[in-house]
Amino acid sequence: MPYIHDRYDALVIGGGIAGMQAALDLGEQGFDVLLVEKGPSIGGVMVGLNKVFPTLDCSSCICTPRMAESAHHPRIRLQTYTEVQAVRRDGAGFAVELLKKPRYLDETACIGCGECELACPIEVPHEFDYGLGARRAIYIPHGNAIPQKAVLSVEDCVFCGKCEKVCPADCMDFTQLPERVTTMVGAVIVATGLEITPMDAKPHYGRGLIPNVMSPLAMERIQSSNGPYGRVLRPADGKVPRSIAYVQCAGSRDRSIGIPYCSRVCCMYALKQALLLRHYIHDVEVTLYYMDIRAFGKGYEQFYRRALAEGVKVVKGKVGRITELENYDLSLRVELLDEDQRLVERRHELVVLSQGLIPAWHPSAILGIEEADDHFIKAPDLKVAPSVTTVAGTFAAGVAAGPKDIPDAIVEAGDAAMAAANYLAAMGWNGTAARVPVPA
Amino acid sequence: MDEQPTPRPQRPIEILRARHGGISKELKEYFNERQRLKKAIRAALAEGPRSVPEIARACGIPPPKAMWHVMAMRRYGEVVEAGERDDYVLYALKSKGA
Ligand SMILES: Cc1cc2nc3c(=O)[nH]c(=O)nc-3n(C[C@H](O)[C@H](O)[C@H](O)COP(=O)(O)OP(=O)(O)OC[C@H]3O[C@@H](n4cnc5c(N)ncnc54)[C@H](O)[C@@H]3O)c2cc1C
Repeated sequence: MPYIHDRYDALVIGGGIAGMQAALDLGEQGFDVLLVEKGPSIGGVMVGLNKVFPTLDCSSCICTPRMAESAHHPRIRLQTYTEVQAVRRDGAGFAVELLKKPRYLDETACIGCGECELACPIEVPHEFDYGLGARRAIYIPHGNAIPQKAVLSVEDCVFCGKCEKVCPADCMDFTQLPERVTTMVGAVIVATGLEITPMDAKPHYGRGLIPNVMSPLAMERIQSSNGPYGRVLRPADGKVPRSIAYVQCAGSRDRSIGIPYCSRVCCMYALKQALLLRHYIHDVEVTLYYMDIRAFGKGYEQFYRRALAEGVKVVKGKVGRITELENYDLSLRVELLDEDQRLVERRHELVVLSQGLIPAWHPSAILGIEEADDHFIKAPDLKVAPSVTTVAGTFAAGVAAGPKDIPDAIVEAGDAAMAAANYLAAMGWNGTAARVPVPA
Repeated sequence: MDEQPTPRPQRPIEILRARHGGISKELKEYFNERQRLKKAIRAALAEGPRSVPEIARACGIPPPKAMWHVMAMRRYGEVVEAGERDDYVLYALKSKGA
């Protein structure tokens, strides 16, 4: 494994768009950054999205150049498949303990050819496609993954050894063990991003057991050209859906599940997906059941108008219950808010739950950072210092600090990088002097 | 003095297997079922292009399960799209050499 130096100016935890941006901004200023990602690839949620609102640019096309830049920047040391185990204040900085999980191959020798994956005999649900598609026990995380290196998921392995036999780079190393690594850093930026509220958060929406009631992230994958089906089909039986419903606020603004806040992106991603469905499937009917539409960003209101003009239907209504019918269609009990709370049953062929955002990681145990009431990282001085946390020298960026879209995550990452740079300067952090030459 | 048989050096994959206590019962069952279903799907498609519900019927499994397994075969190039009928995509075995 390429070695990790014993000193960096900053540790960035999480390699999504926010973490990459913060690392790049610090790197460009001449700081040495250790960027740690728990997954086998950087890119976060964004690299798996189909297109982005409101521009409808291809998401991975914007994301992958950032990923490549972060991986190849001379001042950024990228460490994937690694978790942060402990962070302790030590003098002017922090002592950091990392756990590097074994890929069971020599990462520097792997050429990413994928021969091992082709030879592997077992297919299991692929996390990148939210279970809808398959991967093998040994696999390249996905086509846009950086690094393009294989990883063996030992839980899925049948120990046939075929990957080793076919590997042209001779890089398999089945004897690898998890490896503890320690280093010192001057500042920490937490950019660990989001998860969506669990499918079973609301029991009357099917507890995640109805195949044609799906998450919006799964829909992003289904709409992607490199997605699990190669086109938009419903998971229960492969039918081209002709009538699709979006249930808004299906995991936000709901005290009953402990998520009273608005997740800020669901109206927009639902409108985006709905509009694209109108492009992908001839004559498809797409209906959003909503409480109110929040289209707050630059160009968002115009995007909403465009979706309506292109035939997306919106119905002000609360969905009380979803029932699966015998042919895998769904019946939705809707309370029509604009029609005296009249209750109706509406039939659709596919349902997407616009689930809310929750933090992917809780750093309090490891970093001592306080959480706000919404469980995202607390910014005690939210108005004037949004990326500053309750622990000096630690900063937050992206959805780790609260629900937000990609442009806001990028802006906030820039702020976190700047705040970290200012902090290092104020501390007299002796970065440059201790800096070792960057290995080529 | 008697020659002690030198123990055969363990192959690295055997070391990994031993460290992880071998293949779990669930994984073994899953793997066997997956192999069986792949065979059944191949047999169903040998008769010509089929939709997912048709494949499910031929294999005696629920359509959601058939969908996953057919898509897994599609992902790894064993199955390809072969037209559409009444809102269902038809799938076929990829011809050898194609
Ligand atoms: C369905 C859906 C569609 C969306 N569509 C759009 C859109 O069209 N336009 C738009 O602007 N926004 C969209 N968004 C919002 C967008 O996804 C987020 O704004 C963006 O992904 C936030 O980036 P992030 O870096 O903060 O978090 P993430 O993308 O979640 O990245 C966090 C990274 O940190 C890693 N990580 C987590 N925990 C740890 C840990 N303990 N140690 C190390 N690494 C860790 C994760 O593996 C991940 O790589 C959408 C969101 C959803 C759910």
